[in-house]
Amino acid sequence: MSINKSDIEHLCNLSKLKLEEDEKAVFLEQMQSILKMIEELQEVEAEDIIPMAHPLDMTQRLRADEVLETDRRDEYQKNTEHTESGFYKVPKVIE
Amino acid sequence: MISSGEASFEEINQIYQSRIDEINPTINAYITDTISSALDSETNQSNDKMPLAGIPYAVKDIFCTDGIQTTCGSKMLEDFIPPYDATVVKKLKDSGVNLLGKTNMDEFAMGSSNETSFFGEVKNPWDILRTPGGSSGGSAAAVSAGIAPIALGTDTGGSIRQPAAFTGITGLKPTYGRCSRYGMIAFASSLDQAGLLSITAEDAAIFLELMAGFDPNDSTSSPEEVPKYSKFINDNLSGKTVGLPKEFFDGSLEAKYQDLISECIKVYENMGVSFKEISLPNIKYSVPTYYVVAPAECSSNLARYDGIRFGHRSDRTDNLDEFYKSNRQEGFGQEVKRRIITGTYVLSAGYYDAYYLKAQKVRQLINNDFLEAFNDVDAIMGPTTQTSAFKLGEKIDDPVSMYMNDIYTISSNLSGLPAISHPIGFADNLPFGMQIISPHFQEHQLLNFTHKYQLETDWHLQQPEMINEVKK
Repeated sequence: MSINKSDIEHLCNLSKLKLEEDEKAVFLEQMQSILKMIEELQEVEAEDIIPMAHPLDMTQRLRADEVLETDRRDEYQKNTEHTESGFYKVPKVIE
Repeated sequence: MISSGEASFEEINQIYQSRIDEINPTINAYITDTISSALDSETNQSNDKMPLAGIPYAVKDIFCTDGIQTTCGSKMLEDFIPPYDATVVKKLKDSGVNLLGKTNMDEFAMGSSNETSFFGEVKNPWDILRTPGGSSGGSAAAVSAGIAPIALGTDTGGSIRQPAAFTGITGLKPTYGRCSRYGMIAFASSLDQAGLLSITAEDAAIFLELMAGFDPNDSTSSPEEVPKYSKFINDNLSGKTVGLPKEFFDGSLEAKYQDLISECIKVYENMGVSFKEISLPNIKYSVPTYYVVAPAECSSNLARYDGIRFGHRSDRTDNLDEFYKSNRQEGFGQEVKRRIITGTYVLSAGYYDAYYLKAQKVRQLINNDFLEAFNDVDAIMGPTTQTSAFKLGEKIDDPVSMYMNDIYTISSNLSGLPAISHPIGFADNLPFGMQIISPHFQEHQLLNFTHKYQLETDWHLQQPEMINEVKK
């Protein structure tokens, strides 16, 4: 599976990242060698194997529908200066 | 010492403060030093009836600490101050421990050499031109250099065991789910696990029994009862059978390391342990499997860093899409970006089945190999790493070569198995480690093996010369 510069640009857009032009060239080369290493998996015969998503044989745990958390908005919002009346401020979204 | 009145919290703190001041500038093991704040804060004065009253320890900067900067080694979280403690930190705090500081690490735990940290590389106390390993490199270097007696780390692909091996200390990665992941900044959620870097297995046993256990805030933490690990460490090893995977001993290990392994096996044989060759046929696919699964989970976990509620915020743009991109471009380093992009690629339309689904199937095969092996043996042993600590700068531009460094450690994360690394001697004045892997929830066996070995040997008590040189 080969990958080219426009793939890198597409992946950057999907993952909301930006790379400088010279970074793109370095990443392209490194990604090619990573993909070549990952490609080894294709030689494994695993047609009927059940995919393993989690290391322990567990079922989804549900908790009782009770309110445990208290409102700590002011504390949480201390991690940014960009709040107003309890809301977070972002660049303009709607023209 | 504290409960008997031999030393006060203040005296112990002052000793560590002066040691950190002397040694840390050379090795860069700590990002944040919290001793002075602990001295000022009455709330940090532990009750001497607590099991770990006044015991100093260090915490990898991936664990949230209430009111204390938690960076995860990243510019993204340079100014992040969590409003709560990670569960393992809270449990230890409730046991009376005394936090010395937050240790340096590879950015978001992505790295095997501690060179991806935004706060600078950590140096190996045994040779400051070499890496202490990663990603828990700061914790390992701090313990090795005597500026923390024990430290918390995390292990996603070897991030406790490899640095422990490189710095000549003991490193325990418990079973997946043994310790809560709540408040531990997520990298790859099906692989991440909290553990310990310590001088002895006994210290690790005492800490683990206080930090392990089910947590309602982490639905993947295990309800399995937590044994009193320290009660098992002296059990007789006679009659135990250990498997040596032929895939770990395929001739690729240099003779000087092979000799250390053979010596270590002899020590165990003298205690009545028998060894047999086993095979883990799919283990050679561990590295490629990991480098699909881990980046996939990382790309999803790190999507939360948008720079809005917390984290690095760029002032370069008024456009929302560009705003996200600038925050992440400026906030993340190269390795993190590379893994997000790799993860996005293996999860993207058209590639999901070929990469991610395939990797999950191979992960099952690797797991099956272990389960089958444990029908015949009590534990598995082999080298923790292929070499002793490599030079800083040696592998940083070649990600595949860096990734291959985790070849022996990654498989236990894929299977969620507990594993430990303990020092077994030196090659060219650099420490080397033996890894032991147990079935799920058999941490007591790992600690038992290691403790018995440490009663017979003193490799774990060797100290790097730089400790004395710096003091002069």
